[in-house]
Amino acid sequence: MNFLDFFVFICVLLGVVSAALVAFHPNILYAAVSLMGALLAVAGLYASLGADFLAATQIIIYVGGVIIVILFAVMMSENIYRIRFLEGAQKILMPFIMSAVILGGLFALFRGTTWGQLLVPLREPTAEVMGRALTGPYALVFQYVAIVLLFGLIGAVVVARPDHAAKNKEGK
Amino acid sequence: MSLADFLSQLSSQIPYGVFSVLSAVVVILLFAMPVGGLCTYFERKVAADFQERIGPNRVGPYGLLQFFADGIKMFLKEDTAPKNADLFIYNLAPSLVTAGSLGAFAAVPFAKYVIGAELDIGIFYVMAMGSLVSLGILLGAWSSENKWSLLGGMRGAAQIVSYEIPLGIAVLSVVLVSGAMGTHSIVEAQSWPGSGQGHFWNIFHNPFLFLNFFVYFIAALAECNRTPFDLPEAESELVSGFNTEFSGMRFGLYALAEFADVIMFACIATAIFLGGWHLPFVDLTQLQTGIVIGGKSLDPLLQTLLMIGVFLAKSAVLVFIVMWLRWTLPRLRVDQLMDLCWKYLIPIGFFNLLGAAVWVWVFNGKSILELVGGMLGVIR
Repeated sequence: MNFLDFFVFICVLLGVVSAALVAFHPNILYAAVSLMGALLAVAGLYASLGADFLAATQIIIYVGGVIIVILFAVMMSENIYRIRFLEGAQKILMPFIMSAVILGGLFALFRGTTWGQLLVPLREPTAEVMGRALTGPYALVFQYVAIVLLFGLIGAVVVARPDHAAKNKEGK
Repeated sequence: MSLADFLSQLSSQIPYGVFSVLSAVVVILLFAMPVGGLCTYFERKVAADFQERIGPNRVGPYGLLQFFADGIKMFLKEDTAPKNADLFIYNLAPSLVTAGSLGAFAAVPFAKYVIGAELDIGIFYVMAMGSLVSLGILLGAWSSENKWSLLGGMRGAAQIVSYEIPLGIAVLSVVLVSGAMGTHSIVEAQSWPGSGQGHFWNIFHNPFLFLNFFVYFIAALAECNRTPFDLPEAESELVSGFNTEFSGMRFGLYALAEFADVIMFACIATAIFLGGWHLPFVDLTQLQTGIVIGGKSLDPLLQTLLMIGVFLAKSAVLVFIVMWLRWTLPRLRVDQLMDLCWKYLIPIGFFNLLGAAVWVWVFNGKSILELVGGMLGVIR
């Protein structure tokens, strides 16, 4: 077992353990912190597969952005220590069915795909290739995603903005 | 070199790979910890100069060993935690902050052959490590079960997440001009092709990059929570902000991580804007002294040491400017902070990014110095 295999093993272990903690830990804040561990583990797996740009993006977007937003939401909510995920059987049943369906689908996909084997490990820098692809053949998709994100941003501003018209009426 | 390459190279060299990782860790710790400590001393001295005081002058010559005494004090202090603190996260948070700010040093190119890991996503990796810092600040603040801390942590996270955007845009414009993301390659791109004469610093590449240097610098100040952006600490309103409840070495780690962050951002600014280890019109790799010890020439070692010296000198100037600003400018309000980021820095950064792109397209990637030199016939 070389260092890379060891690294992959550590990442997988960290990912599985923290994913289980996310699902089963009764304290919502600890679940959020474990989610960070799971996302870091996925970033480690990307890095070990040669997708270094994706790994760094994963850390910036998910650890630096999404987790912080989740933590903000958790910390702003009242009595977070009393919030429990698992209350009653129906709260277990639906997620269980959903995840079973997703797992089954993924498994069928894995079984159905003809996997090739790389003779030479693919370790080329990915950033340049991705950059050329995003500004060349996938430029339209890239722009489309950008516009969707812009709409999301504008929507957030509109929702968060205090209603000035209503305020003026009340004030006067 | 990609990250996976780096990992597998380590694996092919066991046990040397393990040794190299350990030595890199030791070097980074030996570099960042004492330099961070020295920074606290210089901070106090600079503050004293600005306020016409003497500053620390008791421990050692000129008070130079003050940081050492402070360090011992930190170690020996009782490690207290608030009664209602969430102990696991409370203990985890300072380590996250330290890991984030020290981990970024791996991609800092100190000299031509002195770099922790020559990743080809270097600058992007540095920014990714920075996001761990904001998480550590937020978690530490929340877990200490103190309203001042929580306010400071919320401010800190909001500030760091916001200012990552102008920072990223400024870095992106450099990446655009250099055609590389590895910190090492960006520094190499700032020298005259084929020689080590580095006077094509990115800051003087074109007017847009010159402006974006200041966007980078202001955003980096905010990322490090330094005055005028020290709202997360804001000692006059929030006691000490996110680190109020931390004592002893836990507080020490927060303070050290802040200085390590300042040094790291100064180093990155040096590498991507100020030519890294290059000096104008001098090729340090051509330096010949002819000193031979034990049949081996000392020149490569001297060259490397000189490069490190040049790099650190440039960074030190930036660190001094950061301290200078701290004792000159008052703190911003929260709304002013967000205004500055979203209404000024981001539009200016985007404008400069577009401008730099047009410049690269129109002038075929040539810098303003190359164009002027070409017109005068100095540069072929």
